[in-house]
Amino acid sequence: MNAGLNLVLAASAALFAVGAFAVVARRSVVLMLIGTQFMFMAGSIAFVAFARFGFGAVNATAGAAVAIFAGATAVAELAVGLAMAALIYREHRSLAIDADRG
Amino acid sequence: MPLIGALPQPITSAPLVILIYVVLVLMVASALATVFLRSTVFATGAFAATMVLVALLYLTIAPFLLFAVQLLVFTTVSAALLVGVLRRTTGLDSTQEPFSREWIIGAAVAAAVLALLVVIVASTSWPLRPSVNTGAGLGGTLTNTYVVGLGVLVVLLASAALGSGLLLAASTLHRPRGR
Repeated sequence: MNAGLNLVLAASAALFAVGAFAVVARRSVVLMLIGTQFMFMAGSIAFVAFARFGFGAVNATAGAAVAIFAGATAVAELAVGLAMAALIYREHRSLAIDADRG
Repeated sequence: MPLIGALPQPITSAPLVILIYVVLVLMVASALATVFLRSTVFATGAFAATMVLVALLYLTIAPFLLFAVQLLVFTTVSAALLVGVLRRTTGLDSTQEPFSREWIIGAAVAAAVLALLVVIVASTSWPLRPSVNTGAGLGGTLTNTYVVGLGVLVVLLASAALGSGLLLAASTLHRPRGR
């Protein structure tokens, strides 16, 4: 029994699929943004796994560096997205993405 | 630059392997709970738990600094942003019916994406080669090798903070003329 690249990549793929489901299926802006966070995290995990187990990075810590960049970008996206969600709520008294359809 | 002596190997230490399996299973389970819970408050809690579990995964396979940043910065800031928005709104419970048309489409898309990724992971023999140890830790890599990226990231975060502040300060959405 061991833990290697394929195990972590499979979990990363599952997390990405959960995020994709949230983006497609949920109408709440907050949950859609959380879904995109999951997709960002899945990508970060894959980068870290490749640097740790597999295709050697130019630098042993390059995967972790990319994960930090991706995480910070995800936080920035979440901040702007939630501000837009607050505006949508202020206008329509709903966090549903299709609240303006009438 | 000195090379690490051996190729990257799978983790074989039994307690660590068990910990990784448990963390991965809990991570996917809490992500699923986030998506399926009807209460946005509980979904936010499950999302924070997922972030913490990702940090625990980083603790086992990545430099300690990434674990610390994931736990103390990304998890805290994301949860604080979500709680802040939920405090400004009252639409906490989902009105969306479970197993609606969107759920079926979403499940189909997620299954297709998962199947594609699993087939790629299972059918690919990833090449292995030793990583180069530059002697610098993650902090050194960020401030030396990726200094431009770090600068761009600072600008990006400042822009996001400024933009979200301006959005929240706006009194109302701008409507197109004629409406």
